[in-house]
Amino acid sequence: MATSILDLSTQKALEGADSDDLRLIEGLRSGAAQAYEELLARFQQPVYALALRLLDDPSESADVVQEVFLKVFRSIGAFRGQSSLKTWIYRITVNEAHNSRRWFFRHRRKEVELDSEPQEARNWKELIPDGRLSPFDAAFEREQHVMIETALAKLSPIFREAVVLRDITDMSYEEIAEVLGVSLGTVKSRILRGREALRAELAGTLQDRPAPRLVPKTAE
Amino acid sequence: MSCENEQERISLLVDGKLPDDERENVLAHTGMCRECGTQLASLQMQRAILRKMAQTAVPDVVAARLIVLASHERERQLARASVRERMRRLVAKVELSFQNMMRPVALPVTGGVFSTLLLFGMMMPSLNFAHQTGGYDFSTAPQGSIVVSPWNLGADDDTADVPVFASRIDTKSDYVNIVNLTIDESGRVADWSVVRGQLTDEMKDIIMFSRFEPATTFGLPTSGIIQVRQGLPPCKYTSCSATVRG
Repeated sequence: MATSILDLSTQKALEGADSDDLRLIEGLRSGAAQAYEELLARFQQPVYALALRLLDDPSESADVVQEVFLKVFRSIGAFRGQSSLKTWIYRITVNEAHNSRRWFFRHRRKEVELDSEPQEARNWKELIPDGRLSPFDAAFEREQHVMIETALAKLSPIFREAVVLRDITDMSYEEIAEVLGVSLGTVKSRILRGREALRAELAGTLQDRPAPRLVPKTAE
Repeated sequence: MSCENEQERISLLVDGKLPDDERENVLAHTGMCRECGTQLASLQMQRAILRKMAQTAVPDVVAARLIVLASHERERQLARASVRERMRRLVAKVELSFQNMMRPVALPVTGGVFSTLLLFGMMMPSLNFAHQTGGYDFSTAPQGSIVVSPWNLGADDDTADVPVFASRIDTKSDYVNIVNLTIDESGRVADWSVVRGQLTDEMKDIIMFSRFEPATTFGLPTSGIIQVRQGLPPCKYTSCSATVRG
């Protein structure tokens, strides 16, 4: 009888998590190597992408990702399953990014980066261009991403979080509300205002750019 | 229908959150209103571009750091599972630390031990220890007998006057003359000193002409001290004691 009561309470506690999440959580709690691998395989890329879009700094994002997974591993025993595992991890990511941003503005604001070309520090695998895209398409896509990243960086963190969670990580409004800890109406409002601000920022960027001028030259 | 109110609905339309009837209305409006149509198109394109940005690859360095982190945290989790497991891991950790610590010194220590044994084994035949002490003392005092003395060189009948030497030095006894003689390894008197009384002619004869069995230590001859005591006449020499020095 006692066992059934315990089972019911456990089931009730983890009702927000689906069966895959439950299996993963149990594996993590029991120290199964496969569960740790699966967690990283499922979440390291989206968490990194989210942190990168929230912070716009690869090195800071890497630190944040590490902090996020450290907290996940250490707090998985206390995870009560009131939300899905994904929502829980994303909430930790948003909070860690928020902390990192605050710390950055307090401490590192006045630092000058010596390495102005962080791309050079990447390894050769990351420098190999994508063979599926033509050079024009690759350049165009990169240009688009740079423009979007620049515009995102200029948004208020509150709106940026909402836009990134909705448009980049493709979370539902309800999940975003859980992650940010706000109401559904606030989520809609933030997404709307964030998108408008982003669109305005992009429009301003495009208008400020000088039109390309083609200068005819004779072949030598 | 005001375009101000349409903005939120256009955003919801992009997210697919509008009911069918409202969706039709908004689409109809964006078809007629150029500004709202442009806004819808730009939001859709913006969202499409943002969705592509979700595919950002994790740098290899970050992925490697996460794997290491996961491994450490798993070990930590397992160590917390039970006391037995914790003890097992602690023992394994200590063992590993000990092996890591000993590895740099293992070869020199082994080489040192083997070379020491080899050299010692080579030296063994040349070593000559005086251990054959079966039935003998490790050290002996100069024996209280005179090997060669003025008394036994020519006159055999004077042997009765040869002094008898005791085995210990005694300065408190009632003798008139006491002399300490230092006997060297060859049994000859190397030095002398008057402890009490004076140096008589008989004492001088002993110093000049006597030979003793030298004291030994571990079977080898060594120097020692012997005491010669001269009593009152007619008893010339009554006793002697000796001690080993060196």
